[in-house]
Amino acid sequence: MNRLYLFATLAGTRIAVETDEVEAVVKLTEISPVPGMGAHVAGLSALRSRVLTIIDTAALIQGMASPTRDAGLAIIANIAGHSYGLMVDSVSDICRVPEGELPLRGQLDRAWAPYGRAIVEQDGHPWLLVSLASFIDGGGQAQAA
Amino acid sequence: MVEMVVDPLTHIVRNAIDHGIESPEQRRAVGKPEAGALRVEARQSGNQIVITISDDGAGIDTARLVDKAIGAGRLTAEAAARMTEADKLDLIFHAGLSTADQVTSISGRGVGMDVVRANVERIGGVIALDNHPGQGLCITLRVPLTLTIIPGLVVRAGGLHFAIPRAAVVEILHDNNAMLQISCIGGAQIATIRGVRHSMIELEDVLGMDRPAQAGPRAIMVVRSGSGVPYAMGVAAVDNHEELVIRPASPLIMATGVYAGMTLPDNGKPMLLLDAAGIASAAQLPTILDDQAARRTEEQADAQAGVEMVAALRFEEMTGEKRLLKLALIDRVEDIDVGLFGRSGDQAYVRLDGRLIPVVNGLSQFDRAKVSALRLRDGTQEACYPVAAVLDIVQMPLVPDMVAMHGILSGVAVIEGEHLEVINPFALFASLSGYDMVEGQGGRCLLADAEDGWTREILAPLLRQVGHDVVLGLPEDGVIDPRDVLLCHDGEGSKVAGIMAEMTGCRVVQLRASPRAAGPRDASIYRYDQDALMAAITAGQG
Repeated sequence: MNRLYLFATLAGTRIAVETDEVEAVVKLTEISPVPGMGAHVAGLSALRSRVLTIIDTAALIQGMASPTRDAGLAIIANIAGHSYGLMVDSVSDICRVPEGELPLRGQLDRAWAPYGRAIVEQDGHPWLLVSLASFIDGGGQAQAA
Repeated sequence: MVEMVVDPLTHIVRNAIDHGIESPEQRRAVGKPEAGALRVEARQSGNQIVITISDDGAGIDTARLVDKAIGAGRLTAEAAARMTEADKLDLIFHAGLSTADQVTSISGRGVGMDVVRANVERIGGVIALDNHPGQGLCITLRVPLTLTIIPGLVVRAGGLHFAIPRAAVVEILHDNNAMLQISCIGGAQIATIRGVRHSMIELEDVLGMDRPAQAGPRAIMVVRSGSGVPYAMGVAAVDNHEELVIRPASPLIMATGVYAGMTLPDNGKPMLLLDAAGIASAAQLPTILDDQAARRTEEQADAQAGVEMVAALRFEEMTGEKRLLKLALIDRVEDIDVGLFGRSGDQAYVRLDGRLIPVVNGLSQFDRAKVSALRLRDGTQEACYPVAAVLDIVQMPLVPDMVAMHGILSGVAVIEGEHLEVINPFALFASLSGYDMVEGQGGRCLLADAEDGWTREILAPLLRQVGHDVVLGLPEDGVIDPRDVLLCHDGEGSKVAGIMAEMTGCRVVQLRASPRAAGPRDASIYRYDQDALMAAITAGQG
């Protein structure tokens, strides 16, 4: 398995995302807020005549809205026909990992449990492999809760 | 995207049939008509498609749902006691729960409604339930259209801009208008406009935004809610009206119910489209519920005071008249190939499902390739009724408004101002009782002249088409059943045939090529005389 992974930090944690799920990484400019929704939906942002729903992914994990919303980085993904921008703290690299994903070890924090599904080793560190779609489904449940 | 609604729709319909609609005995016991009704309606509402599936079955028993949830360990009794009716109804969307006693091949496995809701929400739609225990259930799916251009108004509230479809807005006033009076009672706001009272809400309150102080007057919009009852919505200002290109918002946003989509105006800042009906629900405006309840009691009173009605199919005859037939008699409606119709003597019939079914209105020739037909059943007998078109299902009085028995008609009923003849089912089936359609049981048509081109190309296909079992040439095993019919032309074959007939007792039908008989004792049939040919064959097989 010689998959390509995007390595980033989110809510202070190292995460990896399969590049198949990633459309682009962009710097967010302006976010128009959507009132009446939980903290995890930061708002809407326009990207070259497309409208993205911006998810404050750190809010999903930490339960509070991120302090600086604008001028941050977001991973753009197309999930079930809709375009989303998932906010991340920083992005470090895209590279191949020959051994692919490894099973999780240890007990994941309850906050991360719905999202993390495996580990990818790179640069001597383990990175938590997440699926972007899980943030959308997980987000829905967080709202209902 | 709308194709993804097919699976959820199928599942909902299956549930309604399997769990919702009760058995005829149960329905009779509670005073409902024996046949249950399931209505599926779809319409466009702005930039959404609204699909409603309603049945007049038993509805959802929320008490049983709660019991099952407690039994499955998902709910404690204390938590259940605190739940509202809406929360209990929501349990149906939880994976693995089902109030079905048995798992059937149709449904009951309990894996349905959660997947249905997930599928609908995935495409940006919402699903809502309107449950009336004992009376029925109405499920509403709202699914966004991919792109629509609608005339809209741009309004400002809480420092943000929103769009609202112009079709939803009845009128706009400023709050310092003389014709408008706003009063507040127990926290509820009432806007009285020219003497008519409306519920009033401030948009900022519904969406949880701050209301910054403003210099000029606020704008009050009278908008239509889901039930059509208008209410007043206060916003900071109405800024503009323009044509907006609306796209569906992501499922997360649609799930709130107050937004119907989003748009990207020229200034590059995405704007949300408000759903006036959704906002009314979110604000829990009371007028909507009351109106519905009032309407329902009205309908019930009407039903009791009025004439007993029964469901009927309104259709158009081949001859152009529009008629009514009691729906309970109709097994199904099918489009049948005209090639399957035929005549035998003076009775028309059609070959379906391997059987010959009588055609009650005597039609067997049509000018089209396929014809719509009603398959009728009186419990034991089946009949076929070809029609020009099936129009719709209506309620007709059990006894026609004007009784006039004539042929297969029993009278005339007035439906929505139109006079329609009512078919008399008794007369319809009575006209069949004298007819005995026996399909040649075991009787085959043996075509002696197997090598003859005419026999192979013209006679054999004709006989097969009307349903006979055709064998070219004499059977290889030499076994001839007395019920078989042997067809042959004059010549060598006929001599052999004559011998065979004597030996086995089967009937022989002699065919001749010339239209005129050779003489008075010529018992042969002109080969193109279809009526005589068919009569001879069926007579032989009787």
